[in-house]
Amino acid sequence: MSDYGHELLFGTFITPSAQPAQQAVELAIAADRAGLDLATFQDHPYQASFHDTWTLLTYVASRTQRIRVSGNVLNLPLRQPAVLARAAASLDLLSGGRFEMGLGAGGFWDAIEAMGGRRLTAGQSIQALEEAIDIMRLLWNAEERSGARLDGKFYQVRGARRGPAPAHKIETWLGAYKPKILDLAGRKADGWVPTVAYLENGLPSLAEMNAHIDAGAEKAGRPATSVRRMLNINGQFTSNSNGFLIGPPQQWAEQLAELTFTYGISAFLLAVADSATIELYAKEVAPATRELVAAERQR
Amino acid sequence: MNTHHALQFGTFITPHNRNPEATVALARHSETLGFDLVSFQDHPYQPAFLDTWTLISWVAGQTERIHIASNVLNLPLRQPAVLARSATSLDLLSGGRVAMALGAGAFWDGIVAMGGPQRSPAEAVTALDEALDILRSMMNSGSNAGLRFEGKFYTLNGVQGGPLPAHEIPIWLGAYKPRMLRLLAQKADGWLPSLGYLKPGDLQTGNRIIDEAARKAGREPGDIRRLLNISGQFAAQRQGFLHGPSAQWVDELLPLVVEDGIRTFILASDDADTMEQFAREVAPTLRQAAQEALPDAVSVPRRSATARAKRRAGIDYDGVPASLAERAVEPGDFSYARVRSNYLRGGTPGIVFRVESVDEVADALAFARRHPDLPLGIRSGGHGISGRSTNNGGIVIDLGKLNRIDVLDKAKRLVRIEPGARWMQVAAALEPHGWALSSGDYGGVGVGGLATAGGVGWLSRQHGLTIDRLRAVELVLADGSLVRADAEHNADLFWAVRGAGGNFGIVTAFEFEVYEVGNVGWAQLIMDASQPADFLVKWGAAVEAAPRDVTSFMILSPARETQPAIGYVMVLINADDADTIVQRLQPLANIAPMYDYSASIMPYAAVMANAQSSEHNAQGEPTARSGLLKHITPEFAAAAARIIESGAFYFFQIRAVGGAVADVPPEATAYAYRDANFSVTAMGANRAITNAAWEQLYPHFEGLYISFETDQSPERLADGFPPATLARLRELKLRYDPHNVFRDNFNITPQREKESA
Repeated sequence: MSDYGHELLFGTFITPSAQPAQQAVELAIAADRAGLDLATFQDHPYQASFHDTWTLLTYVASRTQRIRVSGNVLNLPLRQPAVLARAAASLDLLSGGRFEMGLGAGGFWDAIEAMGGRRLTAGQSIQALEEAIDIMRLLWNAEERSGARLDGKFYQVRGARRGPAPAHKIETWLGAYKPKILDLAGRKADGWVPTVAYLENGLPSLAEMNAHIDAGAEKAGRPATSVRRMLNINGQFTSNSNGFLIGPPQQWAEQLAELTFTYGISAFLLAVADSATIELYAKEVAPATRELVAAERQR
Repeated sequence: MNTHHALQFGTFITPHNRNPEATVALARHSETLGFDLVSFQDHPYQPAFLDTWTLISWVAGQTERIHIASNVLNLPLRQPAVLARSATSLDLLSGGRVAMALGAGAFWDGIVAMGGPQRSPAEAVTALDEALDILRSMMNSGSNAGLRFEGKFYTLNGVQGGPLPAHEIPIWLGAYKPRMLRLLAQKADGWLPSLGYLKPGDLQTGNRIIDEAARKAGREPGDIRRLLNISGQFAAQRQGFLHGPSAQWVDELLPLVVEDGIRTFILASDDADTMEQFAREVAPTLRQAAQEALPDAVSVPRRSATARAKRRAGIDYDGVPASLAERAVEPGDFSYARVRSNYLRGGTPGIVFRVESVDEVADALAFARRHPDLPLGIRSGGHGISGRSTNNGGIVIDLGKLNRIDVLDKAKRLVRIEPGARWMQVAAALEPHGWALSSGDYGGVGVGGLATAGGVGWLSRQHGLTIDRLRAVELVLADGSLVRADAEHNADLFWAVRGAGGNFGIVTAFEFEVYEVGNVGWAQLIMDASQPADFLVKWGAAVEAAPRDVTSFMILSPARETQPAIGYVMVLINADDADTIVQRLQPLANIAPMYDYSASIMPYAAVMANAQSSEHNAQGEPTARSGLLKHITPEFAAAAARIIESGAFYFFQIRAVGGAVADVPPEATAYAYRDANFSVTAMGANRAITNAAWEQLYPHFEGLYISFETDQSPERLADGFPPATLARLRELKLRYDPHNVFRDNFNITPQREKESA
C-alpha cells in the first residue's frame, strides 16, 4: 500500500494538432463541460503538425471556464525560463489560477537543435531543468523585494525584477523516468507525470520510480506526499473486458483505483481524441474511481 | 506620396497585470468600438506587465473579429523559430487575426537581467535581420521540408517548415535609424514608429529612406504600410497637438495621411472614453476626409510588385469584377499554396475564385466566358480523382465556401446541401436526426463533384447511388442564369445533372431525400490474398450473394518484400445488432485466411469521419482508370491478378455496386450502366505502364465511372455513357452550353450525333 492520499484528479492529454486548427480546443472545451479537472498538451515546438503549446493552452484557458491547463510537458530547452516564469504568472492571473507548470528536460535533441536550440546531454539537461525551476520560483516570489539572481551553468538571472505573483501557487510537475531526474522531482517538484507507454517494464516500473522520488524528497527534508504522482494513460471503452483500460467504465475505475492503492497515483490524464470518450471518462469512470478510492481510504 | 492601403485604426493598450480583466476588457472594448486592431507593448523584464504573447493569445480567445498585434515584440527574449510557430498557431486559432510587430530590443539592462543577450545596436539590427529571414521562411513554408539558416545569432538546422498561417501575417518593424529603415524596406511589410519618439522631419526622412531602399530592392514604396502610434487627449478647446476637440484631431491627422502616407493610426490609451470618442468622432471623419483628399487611394485590394510579377499570360486580371476581386487568389498571393492543388493533382492555375454566393458564381462564369481558350476547373471539395478541379494557367471556381446544410422538410427528410460541403460534414449533420445519405468512402470528398457524377458508397446496395436520392437542384448555367431542375421543371436538365452534371452548369444547391439509418456495423478484414485470382472471385461471389444491407469495398495489394499479398476488405452492414452483423460478415470472412480484423458498431457519421485537413497540396498528375463490371469472372480475376502481381498499379480497388443501384432504369439518369455489380479502380505511377496494363482488363468492362477516370481521350466518352445516353447528352449540351463553357471534365462536345458522324 503506497497511497499518498492526494485527492484524485481526472484530466485529458490532448494532441495539439494544428489541423484542423480548432480540434484540440474543442476537445478541451468538451473536457471542461464534462467536469474534468485538467486539459494538458504535449509540447514539441519542432513538430510542424502541432500547435505551439504555449499559445494553444493560453487560448484554451481563454475559451474555458473552470478546467486547469498545463503543458504535458513543456519543452524547456526551447523556452527561456525567466520569460516562461512571467508568461506562466500572466496566464495564471488571466485564468484565475488555472495554470500548472508541467515541465520536461527535453529529449529530442536533434529536433531541438534543428530549431536553433542548444544540445545538452541528459545529465546537463537535468541540471538545466533544476536551474529553470529555481529561476521560475525566484521570479514568482514577488514578496521578496531584491532582484532575482541565479548564476547557473545553463541559465542565469542577473537582478531581474520579481513578479508578478501568480494567482495561485503554480505547481511544478516533471515528466521524468530516470533515477537522476526522479531524484530532482523528489527534491523540488510538486508532481510527477510519466506516460504509461514509456514505462520500461510497464506499470510495475512505477514502484521503483516512486522509490527514487521518495528518496529525493527525504534528502531534501520533504515528506513523500509533497510530490503528487500522476500518470498519462491510454484506453478504450469496449463492452467486454479486453485488458488494461480496454473495457467498460466500471472496469476502468477498478483498474485506476488499483493504481492509486498500489502506486499512489492520484491524477489520471487520458489521451483523448473524441468527445464521447471524454464524456464517459468524466461521467462514469471518474466518479466510480473516486468512490472506490474513498471507500478504501476510509477502511 | 500615396500608398494605396485602406485607412485603419488600432488601439495600443498597456498590458498591466494589476487588474488583468481590465486590460482584457479594453481589448474587447476596442473590438466593440470597431477598431481594426488591438496591440500591446512587450517588455518581458517589466514585472508590472502581462507577458505579451500570453496576453495576445488570451485576447484572441476573447474576441471574434479584431486583429491582434504585439507593438513591438522584444526579439532578444523571444526565440525566432518558436515565435514563428507561435504566430502560425495563433493565426490558425484566431482565424487569421495576427499581426507581428517586432523590435530589435532596447533596455538592455532589463534584457540581460532576464538572462537575455547584450547586443550592440549594430548587432541588434543584424539579429533582427536574421530573425526576419527565419520568420518568413517558416511562416511561408507550408510544407514539412527541412529549413536551414546559418546566421551569426540564429540558426535553423533542418527544422520542418510547418503549416501556413490562416493569412499572411504582416511583419512590421518599430524602426528609427537608417539601417533598420533600410532593412525594413527590404524585408518587412510595415513601418511602425511612435509619434512621440519622432522629431519634426523624422517621418519624412524615414519615408524617404524606406522608399529609396524599397525601390533598390525591387519593391514598390506602396508595398510597405506606414503605421503610427499616436497619443493625445480630447478637450473642449485646443490645448496642443492632438489635445483638443475631435475635429482638431482630424485636422491634425489628415496631413499625416495625405502627405506622409500613414495608413494605420494606433491610439495609445487605456481610457475607455478616449477610445470611444476616437472611434466615433475621429476615425470615420478622418476616413472620409482621406477618401476625399486621395480618391485614388481607396481600399482596392492591391498586390505588391513581387506578386504581380507572377501573373499568368492571357488572363485579364484587371478585369476581375469587384465582387470577386477581394477573395480571388493569384499565383503571387500568400493563399495560393492553399488553393492551387487538389487531393491528387498538383496545379498552377492563373486565378482561383473562391465564391461565396450564387451571384458570385455567375460573375465568375462571366469572367470565364471572356477567356474561352483557358482551362476552367470547377472545384467543390477538390478530392476528384480525375483531377479536373485544378489546371495549369487557367481559371478555377472554388465552391468550398458554399457549404450550407439545411433540413427543408423534416417529415419528408428533405435536405438542402450546397456543393462545397464535405460528405463527413453531411453525415455529421444528418446523424442527430437519425438519417444518412450514402456518398463515397471518404469523408473529405466534396458534395458537388460526387453528386453530379454518381456516388458509389457504403449504402449503395441498399439505397442506391447518391444521385438516386436527388430530388432537385439549383444550378447556374453557362450563360449565368440560375435555374431549378427537378422531375417537373427542366426535367431534361435534371436527368443530365444526375451523371453528367459537370457538363451542364454549376450546381449551387442539391435537394436530397435522405433515409433513416441508425448505428451500423463497420468491419475491416485484413486477409490472405496469396491466391489473388481465387480471392477476387470468392469476394465477388460473396458480395453478390449478400443481402442489400451489406456493402463491401476491397483493396488488393500484391506481395511486397516485407509483406504477403493482402486483401483489405471493408464492410458496412446497415444493422445495429451484433448477431446480424456477425451473420452478415461470416461469408466474407470465410473467403480466405484472416491476418487481422476489427469490427464495431458505430454511427454512419463515425465511419465517414475519416478525413483531416481540407487543404490539399498534391504534386504531379495522377493516372487512374475506371471500369464497371457485371461479375468478377474467373477470366477477369486471372487477368487482374496477373497485372496486380506485375506491380503496374500501386492501388487497385473494387467497390460493390448493384442492388438498389440496378433498380433504377438505365434511361432514368445520365448515369446509365446500372447493371454493373462492381466498380473497379486502378492507379499507377507510370501513365504508359498503367494504361498498357489496363488495356488487358478493358474487354471485361462495360462502361466506366467518370469520377475515377483520368484518361481524356475522346473514346472514353463512349465508355462513360452508352450511345443513347450520349446522344441525348449531346443534344442537351447544345441547348444548355452551346459554346462549351464547361469543357474540362469529361467534355461532351455539343454537336448533334448526326453532325459529328
